[in-house]
Amino acid sequence: MAATLTAHAPARPRKLLASRKTRVGILYALPVVVYLLVLFVYPIFSTLFLSLKNTDGSLTLHWYVDALTGVNLSVLFTTLRISAETALFSLVFGFILANAISRLKPLWAGVAMLIVVVPHFISALVRTYGWIILLGDKGLVNQAMADLWVPGAPYQLLYNEIGVVIGTTSVMLPYTVLLLYGVMRGVDRRLLAAAASMGAGRLTIFRRVYLPLVTPGLASAGLLSFILSLGYYITPALMGGPKQTMIASLINQQVMKQNQWNGAAAEGVILLLLTFAGLLLVKVITSLGASRKKRSAS
Amino acid sequence: MMELRRTLAGRIALTVIATMIMLFLALPIIVIIVTSFSNNAFAAFPPDSWTLGWYKALFADGSKWPAALSLSALVAALSTVFSLIIGVTAATALTRSELPLRSAVYALVLGPLLIPQIVTALGLFLLFEPASMLGSPLAIALGHTVLASPIAVLILVATLRGIDERLEDAAASMGAGRLTVARRITFPLAAPGMIAAAIFSFITSFDEFYISQFLSSVDTVTLPVQVYNSLTFDIDPSVTAISAILIAFAILALALVALVRWLGSGRQDSLLSVENTAGIAAPGGEAV
Repeated sequence: MAATLTAHAPARPRKLLASRKTRVGILYALPVVVYLLVLFVYPIFSTLFLSLKNTDGSLTLHWYVDALTGVNLSVLFTTLRISAETALFSLVFGFILANAISRLKPLWAGVAMLIVVVPHFISALVRTYGWIILLGDKGLVNQAMADLWVPGAPYQLLYNEIGVVIGTTSVMLPYTVLLLYGVMRGVDRRLLAAAASMGAGRLTIFRRVYLPLVTPGLASAGLLSFILSLGYYITPALMGGPKQTMIASLINQQVMKQNQWNGAAAEGVILLLLTFAGLLLVKVITSLGASRKKRSAS
Repeated sequence: MMELRRTLAGRIALTVIATMIMLFLALPIIVIIVTSFSNNAFAAFPPDSWTLGWYKALFADGSKWPAALSLSALVAALSTVFSLIIGVTAATALTRSELPLRSAVYALVLGPLLIPQIVTALGLFLLFEPASMLGSPLAIALGHTVLASPIAVLILVATLRGIDERLEDAAASMGAGRLTVARRITFPLAAPGMIAAAIFSFITSFDEFYISQFLSSVDTVTLPVQVYNSLTFDIDPSVTAISAILIAFAILALALVALVRWLGSGRQDSLLSVENTAGIAAPGGEAV
């Protein structure tokens, strides 16, 4: 295009073109930016503001003191405990399943991934209801255990922590399987072959080569399911008892039943800070993992 | 795990465990579909007799489900339209222009997907409550768009990245105006991605619970909130039927996305193959 122009002329049209492209970009980016600033960023800042505001309008940390003492503190600990349990189980199950799928032939791997992905797009509410049917006193699980003469059956599997962890794990599991499957597919098989050619046994290869390569992925997958569980509400509320009240349920109660918006806002900000801390950790782990991978490949 | 795989027993054990985990994912869905046809919605499984009664009860007089269903459909349709408008413009800005602060825009778009939905819902409640817009379908749709539009943006960015810009440049070099290029080249190639973005926006809004719960009033209750209420307050056995319908709906939507992808997959290749066999393909072109 600039071939027929003089030596210093190409700069001008290119610059003009660039500034036009920039203007078009800003114009087209406006809807999403304005929309999210008004309906996402501004509401979060007003939540933050409300959590710091006293009833007479002055600034206070009173709501945070409230949120971090007594019953509310134990709700926070319950949230952390249930999220950790969920993250642990979905990590272990996710690792086994993703590992098994990554060894399948493409066709069967596709079928298996379908079984993992389809539930992910079905409302968590509906899946939780499925678990309520399954785990009841006369549900399939207890019946199967009674038929197998498992001592002590039927068990109380609903409205306690077992039920909550089963339900939440099944909601979080598709995430971990998808993340870990990606990580495992990314492992350079040549590294394993290289280790084998130098006489390393299978256990040694797994422990010394494979595991170090997938550990950053494992850690971020675990952390992500932990973060997602922190703000989760549906399953704990439907499948748990009073001892399984999580922070999201507390926020909901404070707004809907007690009209206690400031307290709810403070709880929300605490949840937000925990999420940010988790995401920061994920980022650190990911960059650590990337540098490790680079080193092992070079 | 590797040393286990060496033996046949280990291989079988691993397969059994992996199958059990998949069953763990699939069982709650299967059990709802089966129970929705069962004569006694809360009793033994597998059921001893079958009925369509729960499906009929959904549309009986005085049932709350039709109103909830139509409200959810209206809200989902609105937020699909909003999300597509936001998605198409944002994806164009992110892939076809020189955008200052591009990574900041990306961070803003990813924000709603990373932040706990209950926090977003609380913020929206604090925004719409003083405006006395609680229970308004428009407010719920605007709220759902906060979650649905990032998904639309991500899908459409991937779609536009996948379209070879050489095709657009070629059309422009032959004198096609920008609108013609968009209409004749970009749009037909991006159509499968746009349909996928629309379907995922619709599902996101249709299944959304937190924002709906915070923004609903006694008279305006979306389908997920109604399902939640009937699981906590008034146990209504026809909830199995509506759950089964939601499952069928989700599977249908996913199948539709797969179908559209499959139909659209050959288009660009057929346009590019002529050029590639002629041996004039420009170096550095994006691999498709």
